[in-house]
Amino acid sequence: MAATAPTAQPDGGAGTPPSRRLGAALREFVRTGAPIRWLGRVGAVVPLLALALILILLIDRALPAIQFSGLKFLTGTTFNFGSQYGTPVKSQGIVHQPGEIFGALPEILGTLVTSAIALIIAVPVSIGAAMVIVERLPRQLASYVGLFLELLAGIPSVIVGLWGALTFGPFIAHDIAPVIADTLGKVPGLQGFFGGETGNGQGLLTSGLVLAVMIIPIIAATARDLIRGVPILPREGAVALGMSDWETARRVTLPWVGAGLIGAAVLGLARALGETIAVAMVCGVALGQLPTNLYASMVTIAANIVQNLNTAITDPLDIRAFAELALVLMVITLATNVLARLMVRRVSGTALPVGRGL
Amino acid sequence: MSIRFRTVCAAAALAPLALLAACGSSGSTAGSSASASAAPAASSGSGATTISETGSSLLFPLFGTWQAAYSTDVTDVTITSGSTGSGTGIADAATGTVTIGASDAYLSAAQTAQYKGLINIPLTVAAVMVNYNVPGIKAPLNLNGTVLAKIYLGKITNWNDKAIAALNPGVSLPNLKIITVHRADSSGSTFLFTSYLNAQDPADWPSSNIGTTITWPSAPGSLAETGSGGMVTGAGGAKGSIAYIGISYLAKTQAASLGEASLLNKGGKYTQATDASINAALATFSGSTPANGAQSLINTTAPTGYPIINYEYAIVKTTQPSASVAKALKAFLSWTITTGSDAKTLATVGFEPLPSNVLTIAQNEIKSIKS
Repeated sequence: MAATAPTAQPDGGAGTPPSRRLGAALREFVRTGAPIRWLGRVGAVVPLLALALILILLIDRALPAIQFSGLKFLTGTTFNFGSQYGTPVKSQGIVHQPGEIFGALPEILGTLVTSAIALIIAVPVSIGAAMVIVERLPRQLASYVGLFLELLAGIPSVIVGLWGALTFGPFIAHDIAPVIADTLGKVPGLQGFFGGETGNGQGLLTSGLVLAVMIIPIIAATARDLIRGVPILPREGAVALGMSDWETARRVTLPWVGAGLIGAAVLGLARALGETIAVAMVCGVALGQLPTNLYASMVTIAANIVQNLNTAITDPLDIRAFAELALVLMVITLATNVLARLMVRRVSGTALPVGRGL
Repeated sequence: MSIRFRTVCAAAALAPLALLAACGSSGSTAGSSASASAAPAASSGSGATTISETGSSLLFPLFGTWQAAYSTDVTDVTITSGSTGSGTGIADAATGTVTIGASDAYLSAAQTAQYKGLINIPLTVAAVMVNYNVPGIKAPLNLNGTVLAKIYLGKITNWNDKAIAALNPGVSLPNLKIITVHRADSSGSTFLFTSYLNAQDPADWPSSNIGTTITWPSAPGSLAETGSGGMVTGAGGAKGSIAYIGISYLAKTQAASLGEASLLNKGGKYTQATDASINAALATFSGSTPANGAQSLINTTAPTGYPIINYEYAIVKTTQPSASVAKALKAFLSWTITTGSDAKTLATVGFEPLPSNVLTIAQNEIKSIKS
């Protein structure tokens, strides 16, 4: 390259063969940094295009199902793939198998409620774990615990699901559910949700706990990095003012990273909402059933899609209903993300987090 | 610290490679396996044809036997198989993902209309058992479609219910809560079982609840399990459970100490799935099997016949991507219903061979495969 440069530089035209001129142009193109700029532009547009394309495609595929079910899709509680061996009938202008009804309320609620249970359990546990790792453990031990947390976050969900189905589910059914039913289930007003049949280890509680196990490492690892970033001065100041450890944590350390913690929780929530296989293995896949209590079998959108795709794919309308389910799931995750962003903005809006609440 | 850490990292990086190597050399015992390694290199050596199969977990144990036996006879064809459920079998064959989709259920008229050129070839005759985990009961319990429907509807919730006692005079039934177990995935066993419930008791079990995936009624404490193997594990682990499981898992259900119910047929008698009862039931249907092979064999009128039997189907496209695949597929399918269906092979899974007239129907269907 160095050898050709002097000859190409002076005239840059008439005498040189076309291949060399092309090479020079290419080098000039590279020298100006244009490829990086173009790569950047393409990189910036691709995610946006992908999102738009998925949305458009899903809406297009879901249209017949939207026309068929209308608002009942969101409010109905019966979900039936229809009689595959029946004679097709026509309703709402669509020819379909008899018995097909798509009411997705149970699985929409199932998706939201399991994620909520997971978050309620995971957030305090994770923040507590992060605080302990940063402030209490000796540095050597903390690094090992941290490594362990990151390894835990990397466990494939199918393995967590298997553990949930074979070990954790029966344990919950025999040792945890009866205890909750005997305590919280006896409190007036809570009997309906916490009392009653304690099930066999497949259902709402197991799904929520399995999800919690999966998102704790994610939230805890993020929270640990955030808390480690809190400067020592404000904390020393708090101690100097005579605050206890608990007060320092509550009034100085945690408010300092409040926005980040919400971000960490949202990371976990996003994982919980979209988690498919682990939940599919422990939820009981109870199509079209609103869970009667905390222990009842239920279903999430993702679990329904993964377990029943093979039935749906051989029926023209069923697969459209699945496209609509996918659309709903996508809207839910997008909505939670937007909501979380708004919350982060509100929390980080205050100028100086230190001393808030004093 | 850092050197030790590096060693650990290196070991961690090498572990997957070692695992991979181990997988390559191990036998084909897993749920989904290829018998490619079994083929000796002594054969022609030129490009081997691959036939892929997926679907019914009821047929899977037999298919595994076929796969092993066939690959010792014919070395230039590689067969892969998977136990994924009949719904997957139909879906993957329809989309062309696999060569053979195994299904306990025949194709519906709607499916044949949706996927032109997809046919179902009967390969063998299977049955679905109703199993229960009720300690202390020695003789098989008598059950019928009405009682089973009411159990799965959550209307009968205890083993000492009057309705069950009425079918089993003299048997002391325990005070034990019934746990219904059903398939979580898309399954041909579900199709056969719900077909039986509907045939016996259409009032409790409407035809809209027949299918490879159905909306199960809310029965408190019910379990959903994936695959026939999962049904055995689920039922075996829960006292008071009831489940429907393919006959090819008989040995496993016995190992898990599950009882097998005698089921009521349309002839008014209670029977268990045996060679004799399956063949007796088959005799009432096989004469009227249509040329496309699609027929329900549920709820026989023969007093000695077992009421939940079915043809196991190979779902294939009549037009194959290449002449070599078409040739290999035809040869393999013909082998399965003749040499592959000898008494000794089928006895291992409790299946029955096709009756001669259905064998002719299957052979004609195989002949229609082209490239």
